[in-house]
Amino acid sequence: MRWATIARYPLIASLIAPVAALGGGFDRAIDAVVPRVVKLYGLSVGSQAGYGTGVLVSSDGLVLTVLSLLIDARRVRAVTSDGTVYEAEVVRRDPSRQLALLRLKPPDHGGEAAGSRDAVGPFPYFDLKCGADATREESLRPGDWVIAAGNPFKVAEGAEPVSIAHGVFSARTELDARRQVKEFPYRGDVLVIDAVTSNPGAPGSAVVDLEGRFVGMIGREVVSNLTHTHFNYAVPRDVLCEFFNEATGAMPRAASAAIASPSEAAVDPGIRLTRTGYRNIPPLVDRVRRGSPAELAGVRKDDLILSLNGKSVANAEEYDEQLRSIPRDRPLDLVVRRGRSIVAIHIEPEKR
Amino acid sequence: MERRTNVGIILVAPFALFAVGVSLGQPRELDEYAVLRASQERFRAVAAKLRPSLVRIETVGGAQPAAPAPREERKPPDPDDEGPPPPPRLQNPFRDDPGSGFVVADGPTTGLVYSADGYIVTSSFNFVREPELISVTLADGRRVAADLVARDQVRKIALLKIDASGLTIPEWRAADAVQVGQSAIALGLGFGGSDPSITVGIVSALNRMRGNAIQTDAKLNPANYGGPVCDIEGRVIGICVPMAQRAGELAGVELYDAGVGFAVPKHRLDAIVKTLRTGTSVYRGWLGFVIDPRSPDAVVIRNIAEPSPAQAAGLRPGDKITGADGQPIRHFGQLVQAIYMIPAGEQVVLQIERDGVEFSAPATLARSSELGPLPALSEPFDPAAPPPPPPDEQEEP
Repeated sequence: MRWATIARYPLIASLIAPVAALGGGFDRAIDAVVPRVVKLYGLSVGSQAGYGTGVLVSSDGLVLTVLSLLIDARRVRAVTSDGTVYEAEVVRRDPSRQLALLRLKPPDHGGEAAGSRDAVGPFPYFDLKCGADATREESLRPGDWVIAAGNPFKVAEGAEPVSIAHGVFSARTELDARRQVKEFPYRGDVLVIDAVTSNPGAPGSAVVDLEGRFVGMIGREVVSNLTHTHFNYAVPRDVLCEFFNEATGAMPRAASAAIASPSEAAVDPGIRLTRTGYRNIPPLVDRVRRGSPAELAGVRKDDLILSLNGKSVANAEEYDEQLRSIPRDRPLDLVVRRGRSIVAIHIEPEKR
Repeated sequence: MERRTNVGIILVAPFALFAVGVSLGQPRELDEYAVLRASQERFRAVAAKLRPSLVRIETVGGAQPAAPAPREERKPPDPDDEGPPPPPRLQNPFRDDPGSGFVVADGPTTGLVYSADGYIVTSSFNFVREPELISVTLADGRRVAADLVARDQVRKIALLKIDASGLTIPEWRAADAVQVGQSAIALGLGFGGSDPSITVGIVSALNRMRGNAIQTDAKLNPANYGGPVCDIEGRVIGICVPMAQRAGELAGVELYDAGVGFAVPKHRLDAIVKTLRTGTSVYRGWLGFVIDPRSPDAVVIRNIAEPSPAQAAGLRPGDKITGADGQPIRHFGQLVQAIYMIPAGEQVVLQIERDGVEFSAPATLARSSELGPLPALSEPFDPAAPPPPPPDEQEEP
């Protein structure tokens, strides 16, 4: 009997069903996802949660998660679904996509084996299917049920299974000003879901469909500055793939630990541009952070940025985009229009 | 539909008894997985059924609707900021929109075919920027210019007209057939693409906002304002609009995606469209006085615009408002709640206390543009008095 029919005759449904209805409809999705996520514990800074979630993406212990302060801890611990504690080292950070790749290592007991590259695993994992042929997840359609598995508010402890939230996939779209998202550098596509997932600890949760197929990962917590509502979304699998391919293709896995370097963080001269709901707004300086490299170099409010390191900048988005590709330790050369004059400004990087 | 259901039960009843017999012998599980599979197909079927009646609305031009929120202006200055603080903004206490600081984006929004001959209903939220050009893209891909016929700023509905015929009208579900707890599926085209976005919830309450709206926990936001909320059979329950228990054109956006959303049901929509169709817009109603901030425990009139509905009703500074339309009023918020859904041109009966005498004063609300200036106050402002409340609370709807 089709479900729609059952719904139409609730009386009959209640006659047939009461008896032993105990298998949950999300069972196969949950069975697939729970062993493939890890709980992460690291550095807690201010109001930023010192805990989170990650997704196992290889049998030898590579874990995808979001970029956050928690992974900057001297020791990041990862707890698998069976309760085993591992050390996690950062393999790669991606400030533009706000992603990070970690590798699980044996727990550091301070003895001879400390920091050794002993193999761990094999772990159950999600195959990201990052081959050249698999670009987009076309199987997920608006209206499909999805579940997110992670550790919001770190309610799951030790070997306790992670928390499951459910909702439907609403749409694939870009994060944009419609959402009033500020100071969030990622501007790629997201999967909008109507589950409640924007909570501390939830970023890095695996999102799967009803069949347990991996479709994305909950991204960094995004709260609208103005409406204070949370935006519930996942970073799509194909975007994760781009990062994963870069991270694993760029260097042999054995040497991967060397990759995490602070210079990968993007440069921040301390300039804030005017923000409105419009696209294509001119790159007009709204604020200059006190004591920032930009202030020291003489950038002023209301300067209109014309070019950055020789490349013309047409709008605020282009400015952000170009800035993201410049490492933190490089100087910046700006040309700005100030009133009726054109001014060249050289910004030295911040001494670290 | 009801009749069909009854017939169905009668026809299937013997089978059902048989099924019970079977299930007593050998317990069978309700396959929840199959239920979920079927339900997601159902959600898509609802979207597909409604798609011919959904239109994408795009606008060109127009400005942001309001100044930044007064609350933001009072925030302590950011230590990172350079330069002197901005000069205090002069506040007109009778601004038609207090503004929430919400910045309206210029992405596409959603509308629904109301009549085969080209009337489209949507949310007035989508036009707060007063765009110069409105285009409507029909489900078959035709893109045509649309006229904004009129809008209801109180119920947040706008009526558009395009030059078209033979449009597909959606099936509606009558408001009296809507029940709390039934599925509610919200559709929108604001995220782009041709497939509607889908959010799923239930009907949370009926007759909200003075009977103007059905409440749902399906996520509503600027991407589906103006679009339909449907039942599981794909019949429209209402048009998604932002609403809140305060006045103003952007009221309600602060609730988006919060699990509290509102949709205007068919019978209300029909009444609204009847007015809008004549080209008559419906505006927020104002009384035209400011209250005395020195009396926080009562609503006492401090000053009255000339002319204004308050003046026409014979109110005077010092009058205490104790009731509106039969509801007791003890503080300003209650007065706002009593009148925020009453548009300009309609009447409210105020209960007034003056020199210990109570009387009622009917007042016909006016548009903000019909209000005159506030006369200068003769008594000097007492610096020892508590600071005035923020302008958005001080102003009077």
